[in-house]
Amino acid sequence: MIDIMANIVWMALIVIGGVLISWSVHFVPVGGAPAAMAQATGIGTGTVQLAAGAGLTGLVSAGYVMNVVDNLPLILASGAVGAMIMIAVTMIVGTWVYVYGVGCVPSSAKVKVDPLTHDRQDLYVSQGTEGHGLPTVCFVSGVIGGALGGIGGALIYYALLKVGMAVTEVNANLVGLVGIFAVGIFFVNAVIPSYNIGGTIEGFHDPKWKKWPKAVISSFVATIFCAIVAVIAISQMGGL
Amino acid sequence: MEPLISMGVLALIGVAATIAGASEDLESDVGSQSNPNSQVQLAPQMMFPHRIYNKAVSGEPPSNALMSAVGATGAVVLMDEFSLSPLFALVFGALIAAMVHGTFAVTSTMGRAASQRRFKQPVYLDMIRSHTPVIMGYAFITTFCILVVSFLMDSVLSHPFPLPLLAFIWGITVGAIGSSTGDVHYGAEREFQQFEFGSGLNASNSGNIVRFAESGLRNGYDNSWFCAKFGGPVTGIAFGMTVFLGNWITTVFDPARGVAEGWLSVVAGVIIVLILIFWNRKIEVAARNAFGPYKQDKTEEEAAA
Repeated sequence: MIDIMANIVWMALIVIGGVLISWSVHFVPVGGAPAAMAQATGIGTGTVQLAAGAGLTGLVSAGYVMNVVDNLPLILASGAVGAMIMIAVTMIVGTWVYVYGVGCVPSSAKVKVDPLTHDRQDLYVSQGTEGHGLPTVCFVSGVIGGALGGIGGALIYYALLKVGMAVTEVNANLVGLVGIFAVGIFFVNAVIPSYNIGGTIEGFHDPKWKKWPKAVISSFVATIFCAIVAVIAISQMGGL
Repeated sequence: MEPLISMGVLALIGVAATIAGASEDLESDVGSQSNPNSQVQLAPQMMFPHRIYNKAVSGEPPSNALMSAVGATGAVVLMDEFSLSPLFALVFGALIAAMVHGTFAVTSTMGRAASQRRFKQPVYLDMIRSHTPVIMGYAFITTFCILVVSFLMDSVLSHPFPLPLLAFIWGITVGAIGSSTGDVHYGAEREFQQFEFGSGLNASNSGNIVRFAESGLRNGYDNSWFCAKFGGPVTGIAFGMTVFLGNWITTVFDPARGVAEGWLSVVAGVIIVLILIFWNRKIEVAARNAFGPYKQDKTEEEAAA
Protein backbone atom coordinates (compact mmCIF):
# COMPACT_ATOMS: atom_id res chain seq x y z
CA MET A 1 0.00 0.00 0.00
CA ILE A 2 2.85 2.36 0.89
CA ASP A 3 4.40 1.74 -2.52
CA ILE A 4 1.22 2.81 -4.27
CA MET A 5 0.63 6.00 -2.27
CA ALA A 6 4.24 7.08 -2.72
CA ASN A 7 4.02 6.56 -6.48
CA ILE A 8 0.58 8.02 -7.11
CA VAL A 9 1.92 10.73 -9.45
CA TRP A 10 3.80 8.20 -11.59
CA MET A 11 0.72 5.97 -11.66
CA ALA A 12 -1.33 8.89 -12.95
CA LEU A 13 1.23 9.39 -15.74
CA ILE A 14 1.05 5.67 -16.62
CA VAL A 15 -2.74 5.87 -16.88
CA ILE A 16 -2.54 8.99 -19.07
CA GLY A 17 -0.02 7.16 -21.27
CA GLY A 18 -2.33 4.16 -21.58
CA VAL A 19 -5.30 6.34 -22.49
CA LEU A 20 -3.22 8.16 -25.13
CA ILE A 21 -2.21 4.83 -26.70
CA SER A 22 -5.83 3.70 -26.79
CA TRP A 23 -6.89 6.95 -28.47
CA SER A 24 -3.95 6.85 -30.89
CA VAL A 25 -4.95 3.47 -32.32
CA HIS A 26 -8.18 5.00 -33.68
CA PHE A 27 -6.15 7.36 -35.88
CA VAL A 28 -4.03 4.66 -37.53
CA PRO A 29 -5.52 3.71 -40.93
CA VAL A 30 -5.50 -0.09 -40.91
CA GLY A 31 -7.36 -2.30 -43.34
CA GLY A 32 -6.40 -5.69 -41.94
CA ALA A 33 -6.36 -8.67 -44.30
CA PRO A 34 -8.67 -7.03 -46.92
CA ALA A 35 -6.23 -4.13 -47.32
CA ALA A 36 -3.43 -6.60 -48.06
CA MET A 37 -5.51 -7.69 -51.09
CA ALA A 38 -6.23 -4.03 -52.05
CA GLN A 39 -9.83 -4.63 -50.97
CA ALA A 40 -10.06 -1.96 -48.24
CA THR A 41 -8.46 1.42 -47.62
CA GLY A 42 -5.52 1.61 -45.22
CA ILE A 43 -2.37 -0.27 -44.40
CA GLY A 44 -2.58 -4.01 -45.01
CA THR A 45 -2.00 -5.26 -41.50
CA GLY A 46 -3.70 -5.60 -38.12
CA THR A 47 -4.48 -2.73 -35.78
CA VAL A 48 -2.43 -3.94 -32.84
CA GLN A 49 0.52 -4.95 -34.99
CA LEU A 50 0.99 -1.60 -36.65
CA ALA A 51 0.25 0.54 -33.58
CA ALA A 52 2.69 -1.57 -31.57
CA GLY A 53 5.33 -1.42 -34.30
CA ALA A 54 5.16 2.37 -34.38
CA GLY A 55 4.81 2.95 -30.65
CA LEU A 56 7.63 0.60 -29.71
CA THR A 57 9.94 2.23 -32.28
CA GLY A 58 9.13 5.48 -30.46
CA LEU A 59 9.98 3.73 -27.19
CA VAL A 60 13.46 2.90 -28.51
CA SER A 61 14.05 6.60 -29.34
CA ALA A 62 12.62 7.79 -26.01
CA GLY A 63 14.73 5.22 -24.11
CA TYR A 64 17.89 6.52 -25.75
CA VAL A 65 17.06 10.17 -24.99
CA MET A 66 16.08 9.39 -21.39
CA ASN A 67 19.46 7.75 -20.93
CA VAL A 68 21.26 11.05 -21.59
CA VAL A 69 18.88 13.84 -20.45
CA ASP A 70 16.16 14.12 -17.81
CA ASN A 71 13.73 16.44 -19.59
CA LEU A 72 10.16 15.10 -19.85
CA PRO A 73 8.97 17.23 -22.82
CA LEU A 74 12.05 16.26 -24.86
CA ILE A 75 11.64 12.55 -24.01
CA LEU A 76 7.98 12.62 -25.05
CA ALA A 77 8.80 14.52 -28.25
CA SER A 78 11.51 11.97 -29.13
CA GLY A 79 9.06 9.12 -28.59
CA ALA A 80 6.53 10.87 -30.82
CA VAL A 81 9.08 11.55 -33.57
CA GLY A 82 10.43 7.98 -33.55
CA ALA A 83 6.91 6.58 -33.95
CA MET A 84 5.95 9.17 -36.59
CA ILE A 85 9.00 8.33 -38.70
CA MET A 86 8.24 4.59 -38.53
CA ILE A 87 4.60 4.96 -39.52
CA ALA A 88 5.26 7.60 -42.19
CA VAL A 89 7.97 5.45 -43.82
CA THR A 90 5.68 2.40 -43.70
CA MET A 91 2.84 4.34 -45.31
CA ILE A 92 4.95 5.91 -48.08
CA VAL A 93 6.39 2.51 -49.02
CA GLY A 94 2.87 1.07 -48.82
CA THR A 95 1.81 3.75 -51.32
CA TRP A 96 4.66 2.69 -53.67
CA VAL A 97 3.36 -0.88 -53.57
CA TYR A 98 -0.32 0.07 -54.07
CA VAL A 99 0.42 2.48 -56.93
CA TYR A 100 3.40 0.88 -58.73
CA GLY A 101 3.01 -2.79 -57.75
CA VAL A 102 -0.77 -3.26 -57.69
CA GLY A 103 -1.72 -0.34 -59.96
CA CYS A 104 -4.63 1.14 -58.03
CA VAL A 105 -5.36 4.75 -57.09
CA PRO A 106 -5.37 5.65 -53.37
CA SER A 107 -9.03 6.20 -52.52
CA SER A 108 -11.36 6.14 -49.53
CA ALA A 109 -14.77 4.46 -49.54
CA LYS A 110 -15.97 6.13 -46.33
CA VAL A 111 -16.11 9.73 -47.60
CA LYS A 112 -17.11 11.19 -50.96
CA VAL A 113 -14.37 13.83 -50.94
CA ASP A 114 -11.07 13.84 -49.07
CA PRO A 115 -11.61 16.35 -46.22
CA LEU A 116 -8.07 17.71 -46.57
CA THR A 117 -7.48 17.86 -50.34
CA HIS A 118 -11.17 18.00 -51.47
CA ASP A 119 -10.48 15.36 -54.16
CA ARG A 120 -13.38 13.11 -55.23
CA GLN A 121 -12.92 9.61 -53.77
CA ASP A 122 -15.98 7.55 -54.77
CA LEU A 123 -15.12 7.53 -58.51
CA TYR A 124 -11.72 5.99 -57.83
CA VAL A 125 -12.99 3.02 -55.77
CA SER A 126 -12.85 -0.06 -57.99
CA GLN A 127 -15.75 -2.52 -58.21
CA GLY A 128 -16.22 -4.96 -55.33
CA THR A 129 -13.77 -3.19 -53.00
CA GLU A 130 -14.01 -0.83 -50.03
CA GLY A 131 -11.32 1.51 -51.39
CA HIS A 132 -7.57 0.92 -51.49
CA GLY A 133 -4.26 2.58 -50.73
CA LEU A 134 -3.62 5.63 -48.59
CA PRO A 135 -5.20 8.95 -49.62
CA THR A 136 -3.76 12.09 -47.98
CA VAL A 137 -6.30 12.21 -45.14
CA CYS A 138 -5.40 8.65 -44.08
CA PHE A 139 -1.68 9.45 -44.23
CA VAL A 140 -2.06 12.54 -42.02
CA SER A 141 -4.32 10.64 -39.61
CA GLY A 142 -1.73 7.85 -39.38
CA VAL A 143 1.03 10.32 -38.54
CA ILE A 144 -1.14 11.83 -35.76
CA GLY A 145 -1.83 8.32 -34.43
CA GLY A 146 1.88 7.47 -34.48
CA ALA A 147 2.72 10.65 -32.57
CA LEU A 148 0.09 10.02 -29.86
CA GLY A 149 1.17 6.38 -29.49
CA GLY A 150 4.83 7.38 -29.23
CA ILE A 151 4.01 9.96 -26.54
CA GLY A 152 1.94 7.40 -24.61
CA GLY A 153 4.67 4.74 -24.72
CA ALA A 154 7.36 7.23 -23.71
CA LEU A 155 5.22 8.52 -20.82
CA ILE A 156 4.74 5.00 -19.44
CA TYR A 157 8.45 4.23 -19.77
CA TYR A 158 9.41 7.52 -18.08
CA ALA A 159 7.01 7.00 -15.17
CA LEU A 160 8.02 3.36 -14.60
CA LEU A 161 11.72 4.22 -14.69
CA LYS A 162 11.12 6.96 -12.09
CA VAL A 163 9.38 4.36 -9.88
CA GLY A 164 12.43 2.10 -10.19
CA MET A 165 14.91 4.94 -9.59
CA ALA A 166 13.39 5.49 -6.14
CA VAL A 167 14.54 2.02 -5.02
CA THR A 168 17.72 1.40 -6.98
CA GLU A 169 20.17 3.05 -9.37
CA VAL A 170 19.58 2.74 -13.10
CA ASN A 171 21.14 -0.50 -14.37
CA ALA A 172 20.50 -3.00 -17.14
CA ASN A 173 18.19 -5.11 -14.94
CA LEU A 174 15.97 -2.17 -14.08
CA VAL A 175 15.84 -0.90 -17.67
CA GLY A 176 14.98 -4.41 -18.91
CA LEU A 177 12.19 -4.84 -16.34
CA VAL A 178 10.77 -1.38 -17.01
CA GLY A 179 11.01 -1.90 -20.77
CA ILE A 180 9.07 -5.18 -20.61
CA PHE A 181 6.34 -3.60 -18.45
CA ALA A 182 6.12 -0.63 -20.83
CA VAL A 183 5.77 -3.00 -23.82
CA GLY A 184 3.15 -5.05 -21.96
CA ILE A 185 1.02 -2.03 -21.00
CA PHE A 186 1.36 -0.80 -24.59
CA PHE A 187 -0.06 -4.06 -25.95
CA VAL A 188 -2.97 -4.06 -23.47
CA ASN A 189 -4.01 -0.60 -24.62
CA ALA A 190 -3.43 -1.35 -28.31
CA VAL A 191 -5.73 -4.38 -28.14
CA ILE A 192 -8.70 -2.71 -26.38
CA PRO A 193 -9.55 -0.33 -29.30
CA SER A 194 -9.59 -3.26 -31.77
CA TYR A 195 -13.06 -4.14 -30.48
CA ASN A 196 -14.24 -0.69 -31.60
CA ILE A 197 -12.41 -0.87 -34.90
CA GLY A 198 -13.38 -4.41 -35.87
CA GLY A 199 -10.61 -4.93 -38.39
CA THR A 200 -10.69 -1.77 -40.50
CA ILE A 201 -10.63 1.97 -39.86
CA GLU A 202 -9.52 4.73 -42.19
CA GLY A 203 -8.62 7.45 -39.67
CA PHE A 204 -10.32 10.42 -38.05
CA HIS A 205 -12.77 10.84 -40.96
CA ASP A 206 -14.13 7.29 -40.51
CA PRO A 207 -17.52 7.05 -38.71
CA LYS A 208 -16.02 4.37 -36.44
CA TRP A 209 -13.58 6.96 -35.09
CA LYS A 210 -16.41 8.60 -33.12
CA LYS A 211 -16.62 5.49 -30.93
CA TRP A 212 -13.27 6.29 -29.28
CA PRO A 213 -14.67 7.31 -25.84
CA LYS A 214 -15.75 3.70 -25.17
CA ALA A 215 -12.25 2.37 -25.77
CA VAL A 216 -10.62 5.20 -23.86
CA ILE A 217 -12.77 4.58 -20.76
CA SER A 218 -12.04 0.83 -20.94
CA SER A 219 -8.33 1.55 -21.28
CA PHE A 220 -8.49 3.96 -18.35
CA VAL A 221 -9.83 1.19 -16.10
CA ALA A 222 -7.50 -1.49 -17.48
CA THR A 223 -4.41 0.70 -17.17
CA ILE A 224 -5.15 1.46 -13.49
CA PHE A 225 -4.83 -2.28 -12.79
CA CYS A 226 -1.72 -2.52 -14.98
CA ALA A 227 -0.20 0.44 -13.15
CA ILE A 228 -0.84 -1.11 -9.72
CA VAL A 229 0.83 -4.39 -10.75
CA ALA A 230 3.72 -2.61 -12.48
CA VAL A 231 4.42 -0.23 -9.58
CA ILE A 232 4.35 -3.02 -6.97
CA ALA A 233 6.54 -5.30 -9.10
CA ILE A 234 9.10 -2.66 -10.01
CA SER A 235 9.38 -1.12 -6.56
CA GLN A 236 9.88 -4.60 -5.04
CA MET A 237 12.07 -6.15 -7.75
CA GLY A 238 13.72 -3.07 -9.25
CA GLY A 239 17.20 -4.13 -8.25
CA LEU A 240 16.38 -7.83 -8.75
CA MET B 1 32.14 9.33 -29.55
CA GLU B 2 33.64 10.62 -32.78
CA PRO B 3 30.76 11.73 -35.01
CA LEU B 4 32.43 10.07 -38.01
CA ILE B 5 32.56 6.67 -36.27
CA SER B 6 28.92 7.02 -35.21
CA MET B 7 27.96 7.75 -38.80
CA GLY B 8 29.89 4.69 -40.00
CA VAL B 9 28.16 2.48 -37.44
CA LEU B 10 24.84 4.04 -38.44
CA ALA B 11 25.50 3.17 -42.09
CA LEU B 12 26.24 -0.43 -41.10
CA ILE B 13 23.02 -0.58 -39.04
CA GLY B 14 21.06 0.79 -42.01
CA VAL B 15 22.50 -1.86 -44.35
CA ALA B 16 21.80 -4.71 -41.90
CA ALA B 17 18.24 -3.44 -41.41
CA THR B 18 17.67 -3.27 -45.17
CA ILE B 19 18.75 -6.89 -45.62
CA ALA B 20 16.60 -7.92 -42.63
CA GLY B 21 13.53 -6.25 -44.13
CA ALA B 22 13.99 -7.84 -47.55
CA SER B 23 14.61 -11.34 -46.20
CA GLU B 24 11.69 -11.00 -43.76
CA ASP B 25 9.30 -10.28 -46.61
CA LEU B 26 10.63 -13.10 -48.82
CA GLU B 27 10.40 -15.51 -45.88
CA SER B 28 6.72 -14.62 -45.52
CA ASP B 29 6.21 -15.07 -49.30
CA VAL B 30 7.85 -18.48 -49.69
CA GLY B 31 6.06 -19.80 -46.59
CA SER B 32 2.93 -17.65 -47.05
CA GLN B 33 2.34 -15.87 -43.76
CA SER B 34 0.36 -12.91 -42.51
CA ASN B 35 -2.71 -11.35 -44.16
CA PRO B 36 -2.38 -12.73 -47.73
CA ASN B 37 -2.34 -16.21 -46.23
CA SER B 38 -6.04 -15.76 -45.41
CA GLN B 39 -6.65 -16.37 -49.14
CA VAL B 40 -4.38 -19.43 -49.22
CA GLN B 41 -6.29 -20.73 -46.21
CA LEU B 42 -9.65 -19.92 -47.85
CA ALA B 43 -8.87 -21.39 -51.30
CA PRO B 44 -9.52 -25.12 -50.53
CA GLN B 45 -12.84 -24.20 -48.89
CA MET B 46 -13.84 -22.54 -52.18
CA MET B 47 -12.86 -25.79 -53.97
CA PHE B 48 -9.44 -24.54 -55.12
CA PRO B 49 -6.91 -26.98 -53.57
CA HIS B 50 -3.35 -25.75 -54.07
CA ARG B 51 0.35 -26.57 -53.63
CA ILE B 52 1.35 -23.48 -51.63
CA TYR B 53 3.07 -23.68 -48.23
CA ASN B 54 0.51 -22.51 -45.65
CA LYS B 55 2.42 -21.55 -42.54
CA ALA B 56 0.96 -18.47 -40.73
CA VAL B 57 2.61 -19.30 -37.40
CA SER B 58 1.00 -16.09 -36.11
CA GLY B 59 0.90 -12.48 -37.25
CA GLU B 60 4.31 -11.49 -38.61
CA PRO B 61 5.26 -9.09 -35.78
CA PRO B 62 4.88 -11.66 -32.96
CA SER B 63 6.60 -14.42 -34.95
CA ASN B 64 9.57 -12.18 -35.85
CA ALA B 65 9.72 -10.83 -32.31
CA LEU B 66 9.87 -14.42 -31.02
CA MET B 67 12.67 -15.31 -33.45
CA SER B 68 14.68 -12.21 -32.60
CA ALA B 69 14.20 -12.55 -28.83
CA VAL B 70 15.15 -16.26 -28.91
CA GLY B 71 18.24 -15.46 -30.98
CA ALA B 72 19.26 -12.52 -28.79
CA THR B 73 18.80 -14.47 -25.56
CA GLY B 74 20.94 -17.31 -26.93
CA ALA B 75 23.60 -14.84 -28.05
CA VAL B 76 23.68 -13.02 -24.68
CA VAL B 77 24.06 -16.31 -22.79
CA LEU B 78 26.92 -17.36 -25.07
CA MET B 79 28.66 -13.98 -24.76
CA ASP B 80 28.23 -13.45 -21.01
CA GLU B 81 28.48 -16.96 -19.58
CA PHE B 82 30.78 -18.64 -22.11
CA SER B 83 32.77 -15.51 -23.12
CA LEU B 84 32.40 -16.26 -26.83
CA SER B 85 33.15 -13.62 -29.43
CA PRO B 86 30.06 -11.57 -30.38
CA LEU B 87 30.25 -12.58 -34.04
CA PHE B 88 30.10 -16.29 -33.20
CA ALA B 89 27.44 -15.75 -30.54
CA LEU B 90 25.20 -13.76 -32.90
CA VAL B 91 25.49 -16.39 -35.63
CA PHE B 92 24.76 -19.20 -33.18
CA GLY B 93 21.82 -17.29 -31.68
CA ALA B 94 20.36 -16.74 -35.16
CA LEU B 95 20.82 -20.46 -35.92
CA ILE B 96 18.84 -21.43 -32.80
CA ALA B 97 16.09 -18.99 -33.79
CA ALA B 98 15.95 -20.39 -37.35
CA MET B 99 15.55 -23.93 -36.00
CA VAL B 100 12.75 -22.85 -33.65
CA HIS B 101 11.05 -21.07 -36.54
CA GLY B 102 11.44 -24.12 -38.80
CA THR B 103 9.68 -26.25 -36.18
CA PHE B 104 6.74 -23.84 -36.02
CA ALA B 105 6.57 -23.64 -39.83
CA VAL B 106 6.36 -27.43 -40.30
CA THR B 107 3.80 -28.01 -37.56
CA SER B 108 1.56 -25.16 -38.69
CA THR B 109 1.55 -26.05 -42.41
CA MET B 110 0.93 -29.75 -41.68
CA GLY B 111 -1.85 -28.92 -39.23
CA ARG B 112 -3.51 -26.49 -41.60
CA ALA B 113 -3.32 -28.77 -44.64
CA ALA B 114 -4.48 -31.80 -42.65
CA SER B 115 -7.45 -29.92 -41.18
CA GLN B 116 -8.68 -29.22 -44.73
CA ARG B 117 -8.91 -32.89 -45.69
CA ARG B 118 -12.68 -32.64 -46.17
CA PHE B 119 -12.01 -30.05 -48.92
CA LYS B 120 -9.62 -32.49 -50.69
CA GLN B 121 -6.52 -30.45 -49.84
CA PRO B 122 -3.46 -32.77 -50.11
CA VAL B 123 -0.48 -32.64 -47.73
CA TYR B 124 2.47 -32.36 -50.15
CA LEU B 125 5.36 -33.85 -48.16
CA ASP B 126 7.92 -33.15 -50.90
CA MET B 127 6.84 -29.49 -50.93
CA ILE B 128 7.21 -29.26 -47.14
CA ARG B 129 10.68 -30.90 -47.35
CA SER B 130 11.87 -28.54 -50.07
CA HIS B 131 10.40 -25.29 -48.70
CA THR B 132 11.23 -25.59 -44.99
CA PRO B 133 15.02 -25.18 -45.41
CA VAL B 134 14.41 -22.04 -47.51
CA ILE B 135 12.10 -20.63 -44.82
CA MET B 136 14.73 -21.39 -42.18
CA GLY B 137 17.41 -19.79 -44.35
CA TYR B 138 15.47 -16.56 -44.68
CA ALA B 139 14.62 -16.66 -40.95
CA PHE B 140 18.35 -17.03 -40.19
CA ILE B 141 19.27 -14.00 -42.33
CA THR B 142 16.49 -11.88 -40.78
CA THR B 143 17.38 -12.82 -37.21
CA PHE B 144 21.12 -12.37 -37.75
CA CYS B 145 20.65 -8.89 -39.23
CA ILE B 146 18.26 -7.85 -36.42
CA LEU B 147 20.82 -9.10 -33.89
CA VAL B 148 23.58 -7.11 -35.64
CA VAL B 149 21.42 -3.95 -35.52
CA SER B 150 20.57 -4.48 -31.83
CA PHE B 151 24.14 -5.41 -30.87
CA LEU B 152 25.63 -2.32 -32.56
CA MET B 153 23.01 -0.05 -30.97
CA ASP B 154 23.76 -1.59 -27.58
CA SER B 155 27.55 -1.74 -27.64
CA VAL B 156 28.54 1.17 -29.89
CA LEU B 157 25.68 3.69 -29.75
CA SER B 158 25.24 2.81 -26.01
CA HIS B 159 21.47 2.32 -26.03
CA PRO B 160 20.24 1.54 -22.48
CA PHE B 161 17.89 -1.35 -23.44
CA PRO B 162 19.31 -4.89 -23.00
CA LEU B 163 20.02 -6.82 -26.22
CA PRO B 164 17.02 -9.22 -26.02
CA LEU B 165 14.54 -6.36 -25.43
CA LEU B 166 15.98 -4.31 -28.28
CA ALA B 167 15.90 -7.36 -30.60
CA PHE B 168 12.30 -8.06 -29.51
CA ILE B 169 11.20 -4.51 -30.37
CA TRP B 170 12.99 -4.51 -33.74
CA GLY B 171 11.41 -7.91 -34.44
CA ILE B 172 7.94 -6.42 -33.83
CA THR B 173 8.83 -3.47 -36.07
CA VAL B 174 10.24 -5.51 -38.96
CA GLY B 175 7.17 -7.75 -38.87
CA ALA B 176 4.81 -4.76 -38.80
CA ILE B 177 6.60 -3.19 -41.78
CA GLY B 178 6.85 -6.47 -43.70
CA SER B 179 3.15 -7.22 -43.35
CA SER B 180 2.20 -3.61 -44.25
CA THR B 181 4.31 -3.16 -47.38
CA GLY B 182 5.82 -6.18 -49.13
CA ASP B 183 2.91 -8.50 -48.35
CA VAL B 184 0.54 -6.29 -50.33
CA HIS B 185 2.57 -7.13 -53.45
CA TYR B 186 2.11 -10.83 -52.70
CA GLY B 187 -1.54 -10.64 -51.60
CA ALA B 188 -2.97 -8.09 -54.02
CA GLU B 189 -0.90 -8.89 -57.11
CA ARG B 190 0.86 -12.27 -57.14
CA GLU B 191 -2.01 -14.33 -55.69
CA PHE B 192 -4.54 -12.84 -58.13
CA GLN B 193 -2.64 -12.37 -61.38
CA GLN B 194 -5.40 -14.00 -63.40
CA PHE B 195 -7.62 -10.96 -62.82
CA GLU B 196 -7.31 -7.59 -64.50
CA PHE B 197 -4.32 -5.53 -63.32
CA GLY B 198 -4.94 -2.35 -61.37
CA SER B 199 -8.33 -2.90 -59.80
CA GLY B 200 -7.72 -4.38 -56.37
CA LEU B 201 -9.39 -7.67 -55.48
CA ASN B 202 -13.13 -7.83 -56.09
CA ALA B 203 -14.66 -9.46 -52.98
CA SER B 204 -16.47 -12.01 -55.18
CA ASN B 205 -13.09 -13.40 -56.33
CA SER B 206 -11.89 -14.14 -52.78
CA GLY B 207 -10.19 -17.51 -52.48
CA ASN B 208 -9.70 -17.92 -56.23
CA ILE B 209 -5.90 -17.72 -56.07
CA VAL B 210 -3.58 -18.57 -58.98
CA ARG B 211 -2.70 -22.27 -58.62
CA PHE B 212 -0.84 -23.00 -61.86
CA ALA B 213 2.67 -21.82 -62.64
CA GLU B 214 4.54 -21.34 -65.92
CA SER B 215 5.22 -25.06 -65.61
CA GLY B 216 3.30 -27.36 -63.27
CA LEU B 217 1.63 -26.25 -60.04
CA ARG B 218 2.54 -22.95 -58.43
CA ASN B 219 4.42 -23.15 -55.12
CA GLY B 220 6.10 -20.83 -52.61
CA TYR B 221 9.31 -20.58 -54.68
CA ASP B 222 7.36 -19.05 -57.58
CA ASN B 223 5.83 -16.50 -55.22
CA SER B 224 9.14 -15.47 -53.67
CA TRP B 225 10.72 -15.28 -57.17
CA PHE B 226 8.07 -12.76 -58.19
CA CYS B 227 8.05 -10.76 -54.94
CA ALA B 228 11.86 -10.57 -54.89
CA LYS B 229 11.54 -8.16 -57.82
CA PHE B 230 9.58 -5.50 -55.94
CA GLY B 231 7.84 -6.40 -52.66
CA GLY B 232 10.96 -7.73 -50.90
CA PRO B 233 13.35 -4.90 -51.81
CA VAL B 234 10.87 -2.14 -50.90
CA THR B 235 10.23 -3.79 -47.52
CA GLY B 236 13.99 -3.71 -47.01
CA ILE B 237 14.08 -0.03 -47.92
CA ALA B 238 11.20 0.67 -45.50
CA PHE B 239 12.82 -1.06 -42.53
CA GLY B 240 16.26 0.34 -43.41
CA MET B 241 14.80 3.86 -43.63
CA THR B 242 12.97 3.47 -40.29
CA VAL B 243 16.06 2.30 -38.43
CA PHE B 244 18.44 4.69 -40.23
CA LEU B 245 16.33 7.86 -40.02
CA GLY B 246 15.26 7.14 -36.42
CA ASN B 247 18.89 6.90 -35.34
CA TRP B 248 20.27 9.49 -37.77
CA ILE B 249 18.43 12.41 -36.15
CA THR B 250 19.85 11.59 -32.70
CA THR B 251 23.36 10.92 -34.08
CA VAL B 252 23.61 14.21 -35.97
CA PHE B 253 21.87 16.21 -33.24
CA ASP B 254 22.94 14.22 -30.19
CA PRO B 255 20.78 14.97 -27.10
CA ALA B 256 23.83 14.04 -24.98
CA ARG B 257 25.40 17.35 -26.06
CA GLY B 258 22.52 19.34 -24.55
CA VAL B 259 18.78 19.84 -24.52
CA ALA B 260 18.93 22.33 -27.43
CA GLU B 261 20.51 19.67 -29.66
CA GLY B 262 17.79 17.26 -28.54
CA TRP B 263 15.08 19.66 -29.70
CA LEU B 264 16.92 20.08 -33.03
CA SER B 265 16.70 16.30 -33.49
CA VAL B 266 12.92 16.52 -32.91
CA VAL B 267 12.64 19.32 -35.49
CA ALA B 268 14.68 17.28 -37.99
CA GLY B 269 12.36 14.30 -37.46
CA VAL B 270 9.24 16.42 -37.98
CA ILE B 271 10.71 17.86 -41.22
CA ILE B 272 11.36 14.30 -42.51
CA VAL B 273 7.73 13.35 -41.75
CA LEU B 274 6.40 16.48 -43.53
CA ILE B 275 8.49 15.61 -46.61
CA LEU B 276 7.01 12.10 -46.60
CA ILE B 277 3.42 13.48 -46.36
CA PHE B 278 4.14 15.77 -49.33
CA TRP B 279 5.69 12.89 -51.30
CA ASN B 280 2.62 10.70 -50.68
CA ARG B 281 0.41 13.50 -52.00
CA LYS B 282 2.55 13.80 -55.17
CA ILE B 283 2.25 10.05 -55.83
CA GLU B 284 -1.51 10.16 -55.17
CA VAL B 285 -2.04 13.00 -57.69
CA ALA B 286 0.20 11.30 -60.26
CA ALA B 287 -1.74 8.03 -59.87
CA ARG B 288 -5.12 9.77 -60.21
CA ASN B 289 -3.99 11.45 -63.41
CA ALA B 290 -2.28 8.38 -64.87
CA PHE B 291 -4.91 5.73 -64.05
CA GLY B 292 -8.12 7.79 -64.07
CA PRO B 293 -11.42 6.98 -62.35
CA TYR B 294 -13.10 3.55 -62.43
CA LYS B 295 -16.63 4.96 -62.71
CA GLN B 296 -18.36 7.74 -64.63
CA ASP B 297 -19.52 10.72 -62.60
CA LYS B 298 -23.35 10.42 -62.67
CA THR B 299 -23.95 14.10 -61.80
CA GLU B 300 -21.84 15.14 -64.82
CA GLU B 301 -23.74 12.73 -67.09
CA GLU B 302 -27.07 14.12 -65.92
CA ALA B 303 -25.86 17.67 -66.45
CA ALA B 304 -24.73 16.78 -70.00
CA ALA B 305 -28.11 15.17 -70.79
